Amino acid sequence: MTDSTAPESSNQETRSSIFQEVIGKNEFDDRIDTQSDLNTLEALRIIGRSLRQISSEPKLFSAKVILELGLIVPALYLPWLGKIVIDNVLQQQPFNTTEIEFPPFMQPVLTIVQDQDPLQIMLTVSTIFILGMVVLGMRTYGLSAGLHEGQDAATQAENRISASYSEGSGLWGLAAFMVGVRLTQRLASRLRTRLFERLSRMPMSKLDDQRIGDSIYRVMYDVPMAPDLFLQLTIVPFFMMLNAGINLYVLQYSYGEVSPELIWIAWATVPVAFLITFPFSGAIRRTSQNKRAAGSATTNAMEESVSNVAAVQSLGATGEQSSRFADRSEESFRRERYFIAVVIVCSCIFAAVSGIAGIYVIILVSDLIIDGVMSPGDYAALIGIFWSIAMPAAYLGAYWIKIQDVIAAVRRVFFFMDFESEEDHKDGDECTVIERQITFENVGYSYPNGTRALTDINLSFKFGDLVAIVGPTGSGKTTLAYLIPAILQPTSGRVLIDGRDAREFNIESIRRQVSYVLQEHTFLSTTIRHNLLLANPNATEPQMFDALETAGCVDFVAELPNGLDIRLGRGGDTLSVGQQQRLSIARGLIRDAPVLILDEPTAALDPQTEHFLLRSLRRAAEHRLVVVIAHRLSTIRQADQIVFIEDGRVQETGTHNELMVRSTSAYREYVELQNVAT
Amino acid sequence: MIGLALRTWPYMKPLLAHLILLLGLAGIGMVSGMAGIFVGADLFLNKVLVGEKLQPLQATVLFVGDEYVTNDPRQLGESGENLKADEGISIDGASVELDPEEQLTSDQRRTVRNRFILWGLAGGIFTTLLGFGSWYYSTWIWQSVNQNLRVSMIERAESLSLRYHDQARVGDAIFRVYQDSSMIVNLIQGAIVSPLMTAFSLLFAFAVVIAFDPLIAGFALIAAVPFVLLLIKSTRRIQRRALANRVANSNLTSHIQESFTAVKVLKVNGSEPQIHKQFDKDSNRALDAAYHLRLDMVLLTLVIAFIGGILVIGSEYVLAHWVVDERETFLGAAVAALIGFAIWNLAAFEIARGRIESVAGSARFLLGIWMRMQDLFIALRRAFDLLDTPLEVTESSTPLPYPDPIQSVSWNQVSFAYDAEASPVLANLSLRAEAGTVTAIVGATGSGKSTMMSLLLRLFDPDDGEVCINGIDLRDLRIDALRQNCAITLQKNVLFNETVANNIAFGAGRVSRSEIERAAEIANADSFIRALEKGYETELGERGGKLSAGQRQRISIARAVVRNTPILILDEPTASLDARNEQRVLANLASWGTDKIILLITHRLSTIQNADQIALLEDGLIKETGTYDELTTRPAGRFAAFAQSELIGDATRSVS
Repeated sequence: MTDSTAPESSNQETRSSIFQEVIGKNEFDDRIDTQSDLNTLEALRIIGRSLRQISSEPKLFSAKVILELGLIVPALYLPWLGKIVIDNVLQQQPFNTTEIEFPPFMQPVLTIVQDQDPLQIMLTVSTIFILGMVVLGMRTYGLSAGLHEGQDAATQAENRISASYSEGSGLWGLAAFMVGVRLTQRLASRLRTRLFERLSRMPMSKLDDQRIGDSIYRVMYDVPMAPDLFLQLTIVPFFMMLNAGINLYVLQYSYGEVSPELIWIAWATVPVAFLITFPFSGAIRRTSQNKRAAGSATTNAMEESVSNVAAVQSLGATGEQSSRFADRSEESFRRERYFIAVVIVCSCIFAAVSGIAGIYVIILVSDLIIDGVMSPGDYAALIGIFWSIAMPAAYLGAYWIKIQDVIAAVRRVFFFMDFESEEDHKDGDECTVIERQITFENVGYSYPNGTRALTDINLSFKFGDLVAIVGPTGSGKTTLAYLIPAILQPTSGRVLIDGRDAREFNIESIRRQVSYVLQEHTFLSTTIRHNLLLANPNATEPQMFDALETAGCVDFVAELPNGLDIRLGRGGDTLSVGQQQRLSIARGLIRDAPVLILDEPTAALDPQTEHFLLRSLRRAAEHRLVVVIAHRLSTIRQADQIVFIEDGRVQETGTHNELMVRSTSAYREYVELQNVAT
Repeated sequence: MIGLALRTWPYMKPLLAHLILLLGLAGIGMVSGMAGIFVGADLFLNKVLVGEKLQPLQATVLFVGDEYVTNDPRQLGESGENLKADEGISIDGASVELDPEEQLTSDQRRTVRNRFILWGLAGGIFTTLLGFGSWYYSTWIWQSVNQNLRVSMIERAESLSLRYHDQARVGDAIFRVYQDSSMIVNLIQGAIVSPLMTAFSLLFAFAVVIAFDPLIAGFALIAAVPFVLLLIKSTRRIQRRALANRVANSNLTSHIQESFTAVKVLKVNGSEPQIHKQFDKDSNRALDAAYHLRLDMVLLTLVIAFIGGILVIGSEYVLAHWVVDERETFLGAAVAALIGFAIWNLAAFEIARGRIESVAGSARFLLGIWMRMQDLFIALRRAFDLLDTPLEVTESSTPLPYPDPIQSVSWNQVSFAYDAEASPVLANLSLRAEAGTVTAIVGATGSGKSTMMSLLLRLFDPDDGEVCINGIDLRDLRIDALRQNCAITLQKNVLFNETVANNIAFGAGRVSRSEIERAAEIANADSFIRALEKGYETELGERGGKLSAGQRQRISIARAVVRNTPILILDEPTASLDARNEQRVLANLASWGTDKIILLITHRLSTIQNADQIALLEDGLIKETGTYDELTTRPAGRFAAFAQSELIGDATRSVS
């Protein structure tokens, strides 16, 4: 089946038309998730997949069903008890005077009240009412505890993730409600933890394209829609139908004469509503995707500008950033309204259909009354019963269209659950201790867009060596280093760890063997201690101070009010950039892994600290492999092996002295330039 | 609360006309809906189903002849007043015996019905369209109100000093701007209209109950005592829960944001499991907070429902006695016309019971409104807290025009500490830089070099002393003008997930493509940019992740150059550059910026040898100033020692 929405093939020039604007595919800053359209089959697949999620919470789910079933009891008894009050108490009639027979489940009550006088009956019934109220919430409404919501999908998420309902109150209803809250929460929580894990384990080459704001949006605001889909698919329709069934029974029982036609009409709304709303399903899904995409962009604009507020202020760009945010926020609200507009059009048509059905019923019933077949009193009862069947039927008919918004959100969740992740390499062998060498065999690396970063790399890094990777900026030094802990995977050739292809190992176990000091330094806004523990959860305090000392951090850490336990501000910005760089080195040193990689460690160090660091690196290199990416000669000279890279190719390897005596050495040229500069 | 509600006024004011129109539409919808129901119920139930004759007005509206109209003077005397009571009676089928003369024939009833349906159809279409129209309309209005608040919050967040931001988490700002601010859309409905309407319907139901019997009303009053006490008692608790819920979710948002910002660090350290565990913990904490808030709300609802239920069931029990005893209703005889029940009977029982249930229901509804209102106001408080955070760097009320041309910048006896308790970063520092010169500032890590520049950009104001341009205190200038006349290459190269061209032009206002390219050439970035997939239109990844550090640094330099401002601040501009690139960039900058004030922060001696003035920063003040040659030859000079250690580094290398 195809959606009736504007086809994808429609030309670019029609893009500006209102139709296109409203339900056309409108991305917003998306780079990875750009194929957001779903066809019906894919939508069905998402539904199937959602249903399977239920099996992860079998206990809560069955508890919810059982508790809800219990809440039907008051609805069964209430009409009959009411009848007793009216007939046998207020009208003071004896029992068994009317032809209507009490259903079997009323027997226990009847045996008590049968021989009582009206006021005694009232006492009995009131007692039943009170007990029923406390236990099952008889005669009180159902429970709900929704909070206020905003006017866009993001601000409605909080209510969704803790959504619940209960048909009745009382202690039983309380249990049903809270079990429902937990059920929703657990389903969502499982999903969002999983999504967060998948996102954080995306390969680095993809993470560069993934906006942080979008990740926040999906984890925080798309996931909460998912449990709704599960419940909409299971519990809600089950009880709707149960309710409809009970009413059907009552209708058949008391009004068998007219009921066939009424039931026909009521159920006819199912296919009619479905057929009429179905063409809108594509539009609903798409406008829902669109509003969420714009919401992501809004979140991202906010995240980017707050996160980089120092830069924004320094560059005098606060106004620019605010208006950037305002634009995105405005667009997200606009798309929210487009979504509502489609829902409105759909609802109008739906209202027309149910209106016509309603009018037909009114004519039918009133004819019977005018003809004297039924009494006016039957009208209210009949219409009531009709709606109680027609409502679930209409619900069923509008069912498909209703879940489209949710499907759109869930698609956004599943997209990244299915997206490439490093977890997919989890089944590899455990990489135990690396002890001999790391070899590059014809390694090449191209970025996803095809740009070649490395070509034909053949290198061997031996343990006990200090290796320096040298070369102009943008030559591929960092890319090469990234290949060692499999932050990037070679697109051709292979990296061998102790002679075995790195791809045979699971990534996590390789990374455990590698300590990497990144060029850029980011910290979580927790304490220094916690940031160090992140690198090595087992680090002791003396080890921490050793690392801090080597990286030249001791002085400034000692001056901080709480020492190691000071909370770093946003991204570590309570420290100066130089201090952050040193702390980042300390974090690398504390890992104490067989392979240590440092990317431009000394750029921020003053000469003394640099010497100190290099000395300890040399010491460390005795039992390790130390790889340093450096521009500074002072660092490079210490290396046992220098790898000179230019334009993604290894130009030369050797020690400083070897390379310097070569007649046509790119390295020598490079060094001489630096000497001129100094 | 009232104060908070009033503060939302500036954000609603621009939409005042729309709000009034919306209220008007809602009013029309409600009145016409009510009228439709009353008139319709009478027409359909009494006239069509029972067969009574029409009121004259009804006949006119339905375009039927006089034969349809009632002659009963009773009916004519009271028009719509007693419809409700009539309705009640008719439904119960206990309608008064009617004179056959006063009955409509079957055909007439069908005609009335058909015309009624036509009217109903028209009315239905009208109200449906009105309903959906005002749904869309109100969505737009509230979105606009929310947008106003959001934008002013972001503006505030953007202009709050770094001192605030260094302590706050990004996720917190996101949560406040997004989630907390959105509650403004519910203010009028949730805190004004609904409570008033519910209170009104409560009072109305209560009045009816009094009319039936004051004793029952007395019961209701007694039941109100625990209700009110409970409400007062629980308010604080609900507020605490609501706040905890918001804080927990805000922390979770921060956690996600920070994890993805630091994702590379997590990857290389293999810290994902730790982070995932932490996420699960934070996520569950947030869910627990939501759970407990809801548990409290539901528990409270339940207790109130019990009180209401006991009131209803107890009253029924008493009423049943009265019906059996055929007792007289309180005001029944006096206002028989209005209520129509002089003594307690089945119908009176039903109606009185309905009113008591409505009292209990309204009370319960009111409770729900009250609880949600607590959350609403907690949210608004959090939103306005951000707006109320005082700006440390404030705009002068009478700013002086920005001086042109700029001759000098100077720090005059400046002292500054980030934290009142910590030792000052700058203590009585003085320095002066002239136009057309390069001033290099050197000093150990954490000595305050970048802080000096932050003061020049007024990211902070000095605790003591003043920073001046042409002798004018910066505090007398407009912040925007000041920052727009400075260009800085930041030490942390901040790039945005945007195209290369937009990243270079960031903050520069309107600049042409050729200016951007020219700036890139000076920064020695043009060639690598052109080699990118789409050249200047290439999208840089998150935080510029697709470029190497050296490339990012050159873009950052181009960004400073393109602004072409009289003051240029280079904060470790070449740390990530190799020697060749560094030399080219510095040479380009030197020839390009001859008339500017250039302030250069660096470690590298190579970078500063040609500076007109070198200032050594140590212990919070400038220890030495002079040219490279002056300073290196100064006996026992601090700079000489500093340079020596760098040179020794090289010397040892040559030996080894």
